[in-house]
Amino acid sequence: MRLEMGHIYIKDIQFAAESKIEDGILYVSEEAVRAVALEDEKIKSVSFDIAKPGESVRITPVKDVIEPRVKVEGRGGIFPGVIAKVDTVGEGKTYALKGMAVVTAGKIVGFQEGIIDMTGPGADYTPFSKTLNLVMVCEPVDDIKPHDYEKAVRFAGFRVAVYLGELARELTPDETKVYETCTIKEGMEKYPDLPRVAYVQMLQSQGLLHDTYVYGVDAKKIVPTIMSPTEIMDGAIVSGNCVSACDKNPTYVHLNNPVVHDMFEQHGKTFNFVCHIITNENVYLADKQRSSDWTAKLCKMLDLDGVIVSQEGFGNPDTDLIMNCKKIEAEGVKTVIITDEYAGRDGKSQSLADSDPAADAVVTGGNANQVIILPKLDKVIGTLDYVTKIAGASEETLREDGSLEVELQVLTGATNETGFNKLSAR
Amino acid sequence: MGSRDYMVITNNPLVLDRLKETRHVVYRDISYEEILREVRDRIHEGHTLLSHPLSGSVKPNETPYKSIMISEGKGEVDEASLKLIENAIQACRKFIFKSDLYEAPVYDDFQIIDLTLLESGMASADAG
Repeated sequence: MRLEMGHIYIKDIQFAAESKIEDGILYVSEEAVRAVALEDEKIKSVSFDIAKPGESVRITPVKDVIEPRVKVEGRGGIFPGVIAKVDTVGEGKTYALKGMAVVTAGKIVGFQEGIIDMTGPGADYTPFSKTLNLVMVCEPVDDIKPHDYEKAVRFAGFRVAVYLGELARELTPDETKVYETCTIKEGMEKYPDLPRVAYVQMLQSQGLLHDTYVYGVDAKKIVPTIMSPTEIMDGAIVSGNCVSACDKNPTYVHLNNPVVHDMFEQHGKTFNFVCHIITNENVYLADKQRSSDWTAKLCKMLDLDGVIVSQEGFGNPDTDLIMNCKKIEAEGVKTVIITDEYAGRDGKSQSLADSDPAADAVVTGGNANQVIILPKLDKVIGTLDYVTKIAGASEETLREDGSLEVELQVLTGATNETGFNKLSAR
Repeated sequence: MGSRDYMVITNNPLVLDRLKETRHVVYRDISYEEILREVRDRIHEGHTLLSHPLSGSVKPNETPYKSIMISEGKGEVDEASLKLIENAIQACRKFIFKSDLYEAPVYDDFQIIDLTLLESGMASADAG
């Protein structure tokens, strides 16, 4: 499978009468994007705002972050089974608007977390302080159930992102990257001396507000399967996950998954990147056993030498991570796992809720309990009402000078477990 | 596994209200960590853990509610269940206690989330 990714660099976003992209500037018609967002009758109103790197702006509570893309050649469309009709994606030509994001915000549940600071110490920890953000705050109709509200905001964000992506359809990309994968047989013939390596991605799938969708299917209901690593670049996997801001994978991270992109860099050089294996993180223990059994079985059937395993979330997924690691290693396949840590505010507690000697190669995305002071910023997009009530906050959260004392947990993407962040440890 | 083969240990009044007619629900008006201890005691009696004690990304000591599925029947003490529940009890202590800081409507949201996480486990159990 061969996918050409065209990058169109966005240098600025401005509201204007007509939506278009010209000389790297994205002009957005508020009226047009509002109409796109309000296509769903469950959304009563929506407000749009622009947040730029370096501005004294705090966005909260953030739900999802999405990179606009458009499929210009090849099968299917962006977000297959969700926005585009179901068709296998990952080949042909796709354009992405780089340097910007659509950020959805809205209070779906009363304890919702997710802060993006565009300046100050908080900005150093969230990757989305570096993007030009078109923020949409969606208000639902009265008496809506949380799961209906979540779904409405999830889809509204995708619709707006696809609308913006379409503006690039006729443009010439500033840069093009080619990602090409082999079939199993081709790979063996082409790289007979290279180790065979795959990526095992664990998808959050515990229930309401903790969901991920694969071609529109709730990942809770899948058994582990294999994908071409280019499929994610067309939005084959999307986030429905509202909880655990620091270590959830927003849709932006699925589209730009750094494990996939870094493995492509090594493909044909230091190893043969065989495929992308996806599995889930259900709450029912028998499901965990089935999924980890299947993941290990696939690794063996594919004659892999090694895998990189990434998880999403804390606690329950730690068990899936260790089960995957143990069972894959037992098949004679080496593993490197990527996680983050809840090691307490002093960093001295046990980092994971599960462990095993087989997990002897671990990459960390940082300690989510680490305390940080976020200074008062001039403007808030969304609401601060719940900041004192979000993960990692405590009664001392809001200090006299207006600054916030919080744990890294509250910052969107701070300890991301695919490495889409700034932290690690040696 | 059918709906008669497991019981639910919970401190979530919404779970009791919604499921008491159709499931074996053991309701206790105790803390999150005490629910984990109650489950641990039952594992020592020979029940098997069926759903993950740290289900949900809402952390212990943030949400006050926890519902856990265990087997109705008893057998030998299940070592894997014991390890999971002991690790979960330890994990509780890493989080600053703030379950009592929220405004009233937020507790409704916590209850709904806990119920839906449980339902996601029950859906798997009932299908088997």
